[in-house]
Amino acid sequence: MIDFIRRSGRSGLDFCAAVGRASIFLLRAIVGLSLSGKGLKLLARQIYRVGVLSLIIIIVSGLFIGMVLGLQGYSILVDYGSEQAVGQMVALTLVRELGPVVTALLFAGRAGSALTAEIGLMKATEQLSSMEMMGVDPLKRVIAPRFWAGFISMPILAAIFSMVGIFGGMLISVDWLGVYDGAFWSNMQKAVEFNNDVINGMIKAVVFGWVCTWIAVFQGYDLVPTSEGISAATTKTVVYSSLSVLGLDFLLTAVMFGGI
Amino acid sequence: MYQRSMELVVGVFILLGALAMVFLALQVSGLSLDSQRATYKVYAQFDDLGGLNVRGRVSLAGVTIGRVNNVSLDKESYSALVELEIYTEVDNLSTDSVASIQTSGLLGDKYIAISVGADEEYLADGDTIFDTQSALNLEKLIGAFASGQADF
Amino acid sequence: MGPSGIGKTTLLKLIGGQLRPDSGRVLVGGLDFQRLSRKQLFDARAKMGMLFQSGALFSDLTVFENIAFPLRAHTQLPDEMIRDIVVMKLNAVGLRGARNLMPSELSGGMTRRVALARTIALDPDLIMYDEPFAGQDPIAMGVLVQLIRLLNDALGLTSVLVSHDISEALSICDHAIIIADGRVIGAGAPSELKAMDSPLVNQFINGLPDGPVPFHFPAGDYAQDLLTNR
Repeated sequence: MIDFIRRSGRSGLDFCAAVGRASIFLLRAIVGLSLSGKGLKLLARQIYRVGVLSLIIIIVSGLFIGMVLGLQGYSILVDYGSEQAVGQMVALTLVRELGPVVTALLFAGRAGSALTAEIGLMKATEQLSSMEMMGVDPLKRVIAPRFWAGFISMPILAAIFSMVGIFGGMLISVDWLGVYDGAFWSNMQKAVEFNNDVINGMIKAVVFGWVCTWIAVFQGYDLVPTSEGISAATTKTVVYSSLSVLGLDFLLTAVMFGGI
Repeated sequence: MYQRSMELVVGVFILLGALAMVFLALQVSGLSLDSQRATYKVYAQFDDLGGLNVRGRVSLAGVTIGRVNNVSLDKESYSALVELEIYTEVDNLSTDSVASIQTSGLLGDKYIAISVGADEEYLADGDTIFDTQSALNLEKLIGAFASGQADF
Repeated sequence: MGPSGIGKTTLLKLIGGQLRPDSGRVLVGGLDFQRLSRKQLFDARAKMGMLFQSGALFSDLTVFENIAFPLRAHTQLPDEMIRDIVVMKLNAVGLRGARNLMPSELSGGMTRRVALARTIALDPDLIMYDEPFAGQDPIAMGVLVQLIRLLNDALGLTSVLVSHDISEALSICDHAIIIADGRVIGAGAPSELKAMDSPLVNQFINGLPDGPVPFHFPAGDYAQDLLTNR
């Protein structure tokens, strides 16, 4: 019994310490970005790796999810004779929920795990240590550009995802199922409100991007530098990011859309 | 050379993101750049709103001329006080206009329809429309019909 | 020097300020690293170099860029000057022709020589070597041994070398310390060490399989163990 209390106290303290470490780490990463020419070049390089390289998977999945939404929405709405509302359904679903959430999940799988593995490998091969010994702060040189790159890329990816998804929905419902395209767009425009839906969706994307990148770079930086450590940390990145995204999505949705 | 082409791609990526945002703003949410149109406020009291919401449409002859800005309860008369924002270019609503709550379609949104009267004076900012018709309450109607008291 | 797992690398990390001691102080060049702020610590580290066991080259940069990295980080030198310095350092380790290769294209010995060139790029006062000879073929080992001694004398710097390759380490060092069981068991010039009659030092220097450091991991009685197994 005493042993149990001792153990749970210990893991509680460990958890608090990890949260503290992660927060200090986050703070240093945020302020660590240098906006000199060299810093911007590093940032651009990371945006390329985190954002641009995730573009293909985002566009393809966005297209398919939009098409599925169009198809499903049409088959239900056509029973009520209101298949012209398929546009507003696709757009609202994508802009409010699926855009940010699915992008964040894909982002965690595609970019987050890569970030963790890359930083972990740099740690395992002592590249981070040797950088420290050269008097270069790896938080500034390695972590900060990656963190900011994720933070910037995520809303962009989410916006592209929603746009492509809406086109996918249009492709199916207008071109294939024959919904009148004027009604498709005008119903959408009547239903989607910029301040409420689009902005809130973007806020979600920003929050998710922040959380996912934070988890990814911290797991990479804090891992045990062995091959098991790297694989465990990569798994943790994906699991923790996905769970945080879904949990936070519920919270944000309750705050943003629950009140009306 | 490698660095340069990478920067180019990143630039295209950022621009694509901006384009997507603009698309979401203009094409999807129908945000027009002059959405902040000048309006003036008019008030109207109703006995029963029957589901009229803030941001509901105000229309005249089927054309949108404004929107519902606020809904509150008038404590003295126990009736609903609705604040309407009417576009300033529609400045010739007569003071004896009638505001009625209508439904678009059978089960659609509630909106306020204005029908113009014959008065020579026009409504100005802060005026009140006295002649109002409350929402047609479908449940009440069915209830009255079922108990045989329909008197319409 | 000392057996594996005794804390030699930990000692180097303490000197470099990457780890904090639980008790006691580490003074490097008169500076107490535990009392320095993060920024002061990073400035102080610019004056020291460390050669890691794995070389720790940045895998996404070419050899040239790897060596230019500390120069770009700490100086405002123009590109032409950086190029000259890098070529000079590479020439010192005999790899001037390899400057456009990626670290993944280098052999183990070359990786360490490039890492050495990177370590001396900023002309540090102190270089720490962490197992520079581990896992090298004899030729690469010979080259490294010679390079370390030559660089030390030519640049007039202090070198701290951690190793368990006794003969190579003793052949180039001025002063050797053997640690085991968390304490110093022998110290002095190589000739003095060889003359010591401590059994532990003797075992280590001559590489005897059994002695004060036993061959067997602590376990119960052998015969007992075999019998109880059924």
